[in-house]
Amino acid sequence: MEFTTQLLYPHDQALLAIMIFVIMLGMGASLTPDDFRAVIRKPRGVFIGFLSQFGLMPLIAFSLATVLNFPPAFAIALILIGSLPGGTTSNMFTYFARGSVALSISMTTASTIMALFMMPILLKVYTGGFTAQISASLQATGTEADFVIPTMNIISSLILVLVPVAMGMFIRQKWRDWAKTAEDTAGFVGILVILYLILTAFIRHGHLFLQTPVGVYIGAVGLGLAGFFFGYWFSRLLGVYPLFQRAISLETGIQNGPVSFAIILLSFQEPVQSQMIWLAILYSTFIVITSSVITLRYRKNGRRDWNIYKNTSIHNRLFGEQYKTQYPKGFLPKRLLNDPSQGTQPGQKRF
Amino acid sequence: MKHRIKAENLAILYQKAAEKFGEMPAFAIRESALKWVPVSYASLYDQGLNLATGLIELGVKARDHVGLFGDNRFEWILSDYGVQICGAADVPRGRDVSDDELFYIIDHAGIEVTFVETEELQNRVLKLRSRLPALREIILLDPKTKAQPGVKTLQEVCDLGAALRETGDKRAEEHIAGIKPDDLFTLIYTSGTTGTPKGVMLTHSNMVSQVINLPGYHNCTDRVLSVLPIWHIFERVIEMYTLSFGGCTYYSSILTLGEDMRNVEPTFMASAPRLWEKLHERIKKGIKTSHPVRQILFHIAYFLARQYKNSEYFISDKYLKMKHQPTWKHALMLPLHVLRWIIVLPWYGFFNAAVLERIRLGAGGSLKATISGGGALPIHIDKFFNYVGIPVLEGYGMTETSPVISVRSIENLVVGTVGPPIPETKVRIVDTETGELLYPNSNLPYNGVAQRGEIWVRGPQVMKGYYRDPELTQLTFSDGWLRTGDIGIITHNNCLKILGRSKSTIVLSSGENVEPEPIEMRLQQSQFIDQCMIVGQDKKFLSALIVPGIQEFKQAGFREETIEELVSNPIANKIIREEIKKLTSQSNGFKRYEQLRDFRILPVTFEVGTELTNLYKIKRHVVEKKFSHVIDELFNNGSSQNN
Repeated sequence: MEFTTQLLYPHDQALLAIMIFVIMLGMGASLTPDDFRAVIRKPRGVFIGFLSQFGLMPLIAFSLATVLNFPPAFAIALILIGSLPGGTTSNMFTYFARGSVALSISMTTASTIMALFMMPILLKVYTGGFTAQISASLQATGTEADFVIPTMNIISSLILVLVPVAMGMFIRQKWRDWAKTAEDTAGFVGILVILYLILTAFIRHGHLFLQTPVGVYIGAVGLGLAGFFFGYWFSRLLGVYPLFQRAISLETGIQNGPVSFAIILLSFQEPVQSQMIWLAILYSTFIVITSSVITLRYRKNGRRDWNIYKNTSIHNRLFGEQYKTQYPKGFLPKRLLNDPSQGTQPGQKRF
Repeated sequence: MKHRIKAENLAILYQKAAEKFGEMPAFAIRESALKWVPVSYASLYDQGLNLATGLIELGVKARDHVGLFGDNRFEWILSDYGVQICGAADVPRGRDVSDDELFYIIDHAGIEVTFVETEELQNRVLKLRSRLPALREIILLDPKTKAQPGVKTLQEVCDLGAALRETGDKRAEEHIAGIKPDDLFTLIYTSGTTGTPKGVMLTHSNMVSQVINLPGYHNCTDRVLSVLPIWHIFERVIEMYTLSFGGCTYYSSILTLGEDMRNVEPTFMASAPRLWEKLHERIKKGIKTSHPVRQILFHIAYFLARQYKNSEYFISDKYLKMKHQPTWKHALMLPLHVLRWIIVLPWYGFFNAAVLERIRLGAGGSLKATISGGGALPIHIDKFFNYVGIPVLEGYGMTETSPVISVRSIENLVVGTVGPPIPETKVRIVDTETGELLYPNSNLPYNGVAQRGEIWVRGPQVMKGYYRDPELTQLTFSDGWLRTGDIGIITHNNCLKILGRSKSTIVLSSGENVEPEPIEMRLQQSQFIDQCMIVGQDKKFLSALIVPGIQEFKQAGFREETIEELVSNPIANKIIREEIKKLTSQSNGFKRYEQLRDFRILPVTFEVGTELTNLYKIKRHVVEKKFSHVIDELFNNGSSQNN
């Protein structure tokens, strides 16, 4: 499939740029240096998350693109999205899914930095076949260029989006009230812009929705869902407790959408850029819906172990660190039974 | 329900709770913000057995009355345990009891053994002792106070019992086995809003039925924050209920409440309306002082929440249904509400998560439900908490019904009502004038639903009677029904709505009956009016006594430091006059004879113990007596001032 018109007009691109800036600023405003230290202090959960985010997720994206027979530009976009770090959206969803917000934040910080190294490697590994396809079709039309993934551009875009994050963190240190405002506004602005893009795409390029192959829709929805599923069971396999399982699951499935927009806009050109943006819009839209549904489900299923976790940690807060809550016989679920921390630590060692 | 303990009496409840929940904390006592001392179920029951054995040794028999004077502290609960394990009943009262009442209660209840909490109470009881020949033993609760000669400390009695139990004394266990469902567990003297103290006899089966019938889903991971006076029946039922599911009660106080809410993160709370008003005020203030962008976000969030919840209430038939809704009207409205619900849902979802959650975090963030009782909750506060997602379950009851008659549950949350009657409880609405049965009455439209009258109650929670007062008991009961003296109706979705108190009804000289509470609640919505009381019995018109909100006047730029100085300030008087006019206008639904003709600013605030009951209800007769000169002047000059 070919895009005959440009998907985004210049003012849309400006709007996207503002959105990226606001959201990354908001992300920075929610972070403190302590969050970075926490990664080093409790590396186990973050490490499992890392495996899930940069090991599983790109592989899922690659498999989906291959199995669903994606057009190459869409495939590259899907793999790009699969290799992205996590954002603050996942922290919010984790909070409402009764997952460990601390772990979610640690994973966000760690993956944002790790992405600088991991993304170029992952794209190189997984996109080889698809770039060859594009090159072939380019040469067929008489162009003499080879299509390559602009690795250096991607790295510089990643560094560029870290600038507002750093600004946000600075604001957090200096003006708490503004930081809170930035945090609250960011999510709202993000939703508004995504909705605007969808609506204008619908009005201006209604045919786009019909032109897009069904497989691409399945891929856009399925990437997030598969991320949730595998993230959940992969961490379960490694003996992680439910509270942390939910955090890893959501962090794996929810990627930092704004970063994908930034990379695509700054590093790719037509004819692939519009298609890639389109996939990023589809992913960003569907992920809000799927993660809302998953969050509601986790919230319901997680009530029991969350209540135990909460009560145990409040007992320790008020009665002293040494206090050990002795729940009545048969009350604790089996998995928490032999755990001295009653689920307040990421899980027993199995490897 | 699955996790709740069922027991035949309270002593067995304590025993079963100790067996089941063992080392789980039953109560936690605050030492500082982040230092609390837990007391486990097992240890509390064990100490209770020791105390009971000690009391038996001191001569306390089953069905005796034991005095228990003091306020919230762990030793109070221990004494409660001890007395009930003995099979005796405690006679509780707070520290604010007057000497006259103290004498009356000890004498009237025939108390031989009494607990006193503080040094001050100890000295007061000792002073009265010569006039109370039956009083044999005084036991001091506060471990930091020195006991006077002739007074034992709680520790001594516990040690005495512990020593006896070591030698194989099983009398406490025998006493437990001897408790009958009809035995009293407490004898509560209420002064209420009128008259001399009355001894309300509440039995084990009264309380046990409440523990079983209260709605709610809790288990041993629940934390209950407690701020009510410990001896009040509303607090005691929540305590017993908490014991039955293994939760932990954390004793807080009004002063430290905000801090404790954040640290304890309670999942359940019960309190009088006054507390919710204070909390509401604090939240509003927090919003007003927050960043302008966030203020706007809050207002958007609140607006969306209101739209969303109102449609939800309509769709699920959980709105205040005072009148019958014709089927066609409902059929017409339903699709509109469903549409609105769907349109608002995603936006509400986002704002609920991003903005309203912050508000909920101010109240700890873990509250599953809160109960308000002991007085009417102003509707705007009721709505506020329910819209922002802190479910407020308003209940209705009285000491005589130990106390819950009806309460909203999460599934049946109809804002503006006090919910359906709890299981096993029957409610009647009876015409106050003719005594005719209005509800349930198949001769009236809709079986008497929405008919206004006095509420009569029958159920397992209704008291045995007033102690040593068969005449009053007889007056209060009618064919086995307890006459509450409150005016209410049953709504079309089977909830009870309280409209006022028949005893506080003001009858104007024109013969019009006016319930003062709705007008007072309306006036209290003004930030300039802190408290107020409507007067006008047998007069031509209504007037109000106003306690101004001094802080708000200060914020508005007034220099007066005390309320006394405000009384004569003409501008302050003008502001209040305008507020009253605005709030009680006919366009706001007040009838012509409900308009206030005049008012006076009072130089003092209403205080608990004097003008207010412990649950912040106005003692009307006290205020009337104390400010009779103001009232007289109000009605003598009132007409001339207005001409």
